[in-house]
Amino acid sequence: MLRPMDLIAALEGVVGSDRVRAHPLDRRVFAKDAGVKDGPVAAVVFPESAEETAGCVRVARAAGVPVVPRGAGTGLAGGAVPIEPSVMVVMTRMNRIVEVDEQSRTAWVGPGVINLDLSRDLASTGLHFAPDPSSQQSCTIGGNVGTNAGGPHCLAEGTTVAHILAVEMVTADGDIVIVGGDHPDPVGLDLRAVVVGSEGTMGVTTRVLVKLTENPPAVRTLLIGFATVEDAAATVSEVIASGLVPAALEMMDRAMVRAVENYVHAGYPTDAAAVLLAEVAGHAVGVDAEADMIARIAADNDATMVRLAQNDAERALLWKGRKSAFGAIAQSAPDYYLHDTVVPRTRLVEVLSQIYEIGERYGIALLNVFHAGDGNLHPLVSFDAAVPGELDRVMAAATEMVRVSIEAGGSLSGEHGIGMEKRDLMGLVFGPDDLDAQARLREAFDPDGVLNPGKILPEGSRCFDRAPTIGAAP
Amino acid sequence: MTWVTPWAPDRSELDSCVTCGLCLPFCPTFRLTGDETASPRGRITAMAAVGAGEAEMDERFFEMMAFCLQCRACEAVCPSMVPYGKLQEGVRAEILAADPKPARIARRMVLGRGLASRPAVHVASLGIAAAQRLGATRLLPGAVGRMASGMRTVPLPVPSTLGRSWRPDGEPVGIVGLLSGCVMDPWFADVHEALVQILRTAGYVVEAPGAQVCCGALAAHDGAAYDAARMAAANVEAFARYDTVVVDSAGCGAHLKDYGHWTEGGDDLAARVRDATEFVAHLIDEGALPTFPPGRGRVAVQDPCHLRHAQRIVAEPRTVLAAAGYEPVEIDEQALCCGAAGVYGLSYPETSDELGRRKADQVMAVDVSIVASANPGCELQMRGHLGPDIRVAHPVELYWEALSGS
Amino acid sequence: MLRPGADHRGGSVTTLDAATRRLLERLRPESVPPEVGDVPVVAPRRVEEAAEVLAFAGDRGLVVGFVGGGTQLDLGGRIEPDVWVSTAALNRIVDHQVEDLTLVVQAGVPVADVEALLADHAQSAILPETPGAATVGGVVAAGVSGYRRLRYGPTRDRVLEVVLATGYGKVVRAGGRVVKNVTGYDLSRLAVGSMGALGLIGEVCLKLWPIPRGAATVAVDDPEGALAETYRPLAVLETEDGSAVYLTGTPEQVAAQTEELGGVGEPGHRWPDPIDSPMRFSVRVTPRHLAGAVRMIRAAFPEAPLRAQHGVGEVTFGVEACDLERVVAVRHWAEGHGGAMVILAASAGSLPGMDPWGAPPAAHGLQVRVKEAFDPHRICNPGKLPGGL
Repeated sequence: MLRPMDLIAALEGVVGSDRVRAHPLDRRVFAKDAGVKDGPVAAVVFPESAEETAGCVRVARAAGVPVVPRGAGTGLAGGAVPIEPSVMVVMTRMNRIVEVDEQSRTAWVGPGVINLDLSRDLASTGLHFAPDPSSQQSCTIGGNVGTNAGGPHCLAEGTTVAHILAVEMVTADGDIVIVGGDHPDPVGLDLRAVVVGSEGTMGVTTRVLVKLTENPPAVRTLLIGFATVEDAAATVSEVIASGLVPAALEMMDRAMVRAVENYVHAGYPTDAAAVLLAEVAGHAVGVDAEADMIARIAADNDATMVRLAQNDAERALLWKGRKSAFGAIAQSAPDYYLHDTVVPRTRLVEVLSQIYEIGERYGIALLNVFHAGDGNLHPLVSFDAAVPGELDRVMAAATEMVRVSIEAGGSLSGEHGIGMEKRDLMGLVFGPDDLDAQARLREAFDPDGVLNPGKILPEGSRCFDRAPTIGAAP
Repeated sequence: MTWVTPWAPDRSELDSCVTCGLCLPFCPTFRLTGDETASPRGRITAMAAVGAGEAEMDERFFEMMAFCLQCRACEAVCPSMVPYGKLQEGVRAEILAADPKPARIARRMVLGRGLASRPAVHVASLGIAAAQRLGATRLLPGAVGRMASGMRTVPLPVPSTLGRSWRPDGEPVGIVGLLSGCVMDPWFADVHEALVQILRTAGYVVEAPGAQVCCGALAAHDGAAYDAARMAAANVEAFARYDTVVVDSAGCGAHLKDYGHWTEGGDDLAARVRDATEFVAHLIDEGALPTFPPGRGRVAVQDPCHLRHAQRIVAEPRTVLAAAGYEPVEIDEQALCCGAAGVYGLSYPETSDELGRRKADQVMAVDVSIVASANPGCELQMRGHLGPDIRVAHPVELYWEALSGS
Repeated sequence: MLRPGADHRGGSVTTLDAATRRLLERLRPESVPPEVGDVPVVAPRRVEEAAEVLAFAGDRGLVVGFVGGGTQLDLGGRIEPDVWVSTAALNRIVDHQVEDLTLVVQAGVPVADVEALLADHAQSAILPETPGAATVGGVVAAGVSGYRRLRYGPTRDRVLEVVLATGYGKVVRAGGRVVKNVTGYDLSRLAVGSMGALGLIGEVCLKLWPIPRGAATVAVDDPEGALAETYRPLAVLETEDGSAVYLTGTPEQVAAQTEELGGVGEPGHRWPDPIDSPMRFSVRVTPRHLAGAVRMIRAAFPEAPLRAQHGVGEVTFGVEACDLERVVAVRHWAEGHGGAMVILAASAGSLPGMDPWGAPPAAHGLQVRVKEAFDPHRICNPGKLPGGL
């Protein structure tokens, strides 16, 4: 075990003193991501290469201090929030697009590359990185890998895991390894498939081989207003059932629309009980017919307004509104807490009405914004954490909302991850044997609990619980 | 630690940040460092921690705050509409109140008192005019040297608009007040001249009331809040009689539009303030000023932060340029700060230089011979980094050239 | 119910009770491949039974081989199991949520049956187009994808949930029956292509795609050019008989894209027959090198039937007789271009010294640890995976 000062000195030995921080205020600033909880930071370090990252992991390991990797800190489940005093390894400086292979449609990028920057930089190639979480203007590719990020367009394109071909990472032992490869079906167990979404518990991502997607030649975006949430949800179900695969199918309820429109002024109808943002993309021949079909289904379900975005600027503004939703909620209260459950699309209406009922019963301000096409719900509770007891009440209501989603055949998290905030709810979805299997997998990667411990799995997941090695005297 | 000044960051305003992080990539210092403590969200977290007494108001805190360019790019992209610029000005007032360091006091004297003092600015301008004529500005080192090399030649005698008024040739259609500004007046006389002549052409009487003082923006940005408040109060009175006050420096205009924070009656003046490009574009749209056919060439548009982010004025300078017959060329989708940021270059010359270089590279990439910038600080920075071969001018100057047939 | 012989010592004899024998008898003969020979076969009806078999085998150190349709038994290292666990009795389609586009099937259901059922609803699980006797479980376990992966991604992208009987004898459910899920570590994705190394895949939930009405196959001369110019074709295939672009979409879109290609479209999709040569290989490279791989294979084996997937980066080809030197050269080329050459089928001993997979994966240490985590007794298809795992 190293003493705190020795830990700092050892980290400085790896990256130099200007890229290590231990001042209390620095530690405070890094104690939190975009979620609601904070945690203790022992030191903050900014590696600039895989070798430096490996050095940091080895130092932390020797010091008996866990490592918590962090990108832009836009996660909503506390994945980058330490549970015990940890070395925060911040990957934002590894933000180079290393190599683009236009013909193979792949690129090696640093984990600190910002999601939207990547697609912007690729604009001239006619390619883009398909996962587009709402935080895409800020979040990093490394973070996307960590959470297996989703976003509106994963309805048609799939989540991040479908767009990651290989990951170079630093293991719990401080080795640099590559999982996956640039050719189809690399031999051996597909470790990359579980590393993606492992929230920094299997390795610290130092480089990523991403798959790039062709830009669609034509895109149509529709804004549709409804007098009831049920009409909107029914439209979603019917669109999916019709055999159409929209590029995106997003829904917001009245409270959310009002907050968003107040900021973005995109012409969202603030009198509608729910709005759908529907997008179709593809070959120029056909997108109009598909847009018409969605409009027709909406009209059959008593839509109160249908507007087709007339140009890219209008389209961009509508999306800006949708993607600002979480941020805009501060207009009603200083804190928000949200869940991220997924339910079968056909159960949307039923689950939504239960969620509203729970909100009413607890007397909490509830806003809904979600990826309707995937059945991925984001009921958002706005509240003031400074009011004593408020957080507990919100958590209790949120847990009930999770429960009704899972009872409808759904899952606990669609795209945000489990982190620290939902790990104790894992038992609602998985039985002891299931959790034990996941714990075995994690242990195979990190037997000593060096990497982001305390995340994803509830305590006691392993059928035979072992004593923690980390933090214990050697 | 509790705050001690009336400008202290307000808890509910700090709380309005939900830490979503959407601001991060728009923050120039975060872009350069990847460091949360150099981001708006990180700074707000730090302010809140200090304000709640959970962290020391120490040197590290000062540094985190001082590293901010106050470009307010974060504000424009914040879905929660956190008034970041106001928070940052407030926290700087607190820092100055808490810390009696001589260097800080000296800066406060210069920015808070010096700029508001006509004789002081006059003497300084004479000195600069002399130095320019002797070639002495070339000897200045580093960022100061670059700033000096970016200046236009100060005319002798040092000009001033203060107390002057101009009448149109025909029957007046209205009267507007002109903010003379502390350094606009002696150093950017051509911009004032172009604006005044354009407004005359449109039929306006233009007056630069003699009782006005420096707008106080630099004082406010640097924490000299009491001085800033005094300047704001003086200007509210000086401009009381004008329905429209036109400002040809984006930084000053943004600050005037925020006078509500600074003095009684400030909101009322703020509502009457128009940026020069905003007002001229309005006159062009209304047909009060002519539109010239294209063909004068391409102009790169540099968006001053305090025009685009603070005042949210984006289309207007382009309208003015297009009306003058130019083709406006975009250089930076995100409109990242050019690094001028008032007197930021004095505190963080390297960061200022790096941002300046980036912006200059963006200009070079589009291959133009003119850059339009509606703010004096940006103009200095651009010229300093681009050198003498590329002209840097205010959009109204370019429009006046078209209008006057030159 | 399987009742183990009390005095078993890791040989090849397992005593089965009457019920299990009855189960065996009901296996369709074609689902039991000839290689099975004298080795007893059990066919659990439920995943729990499979777990019981594995727990039993683990206790005794019995090596277990897994078999579905028997189409991929040649893939990977050779195993000599003490007992085969067949998925032939795990043959139920559990749940088809037509409107949610999800399908839950047991592992032993033939791919052809699944796609036939789905076709009635204008849906598809995008499984291999010419599956033969392959089962869903086998396709998932072997990580086999169809030609349509260019458009829809590999089979892995459609596996939402897996129920696994692990090598340590437990039933584990992983993933979920919704189209988007990050609830914990997704073992279901790890199971895809795991070659039975973790245990038996008993049940799978698949994400489905609606199949558009328009379909055409357009012959082209320049597959790489066609790939670059066509927006999201279903597949661009090159065979020994020529190249074709496979289109899908609304009939109008397909017509427009056919015209853009300047070719004559045949309605529908005519997929090439599987290669039936006794020796078959798969060359996998980054798509940029695919055309080069085809040239190289053609030069080495001018007569070989081949299936090249442009934009994907895989060429499979077949040869009639052994030619070790040239096969080695092909592997050398593939690995030299950052790819791999996998032996899909070869008669025993025909390629001495050649590893079926080629170079083992980079993170070998982690591969070992993950294998051990799920198969601590090393009884599940041991040696199938690269590196002898």
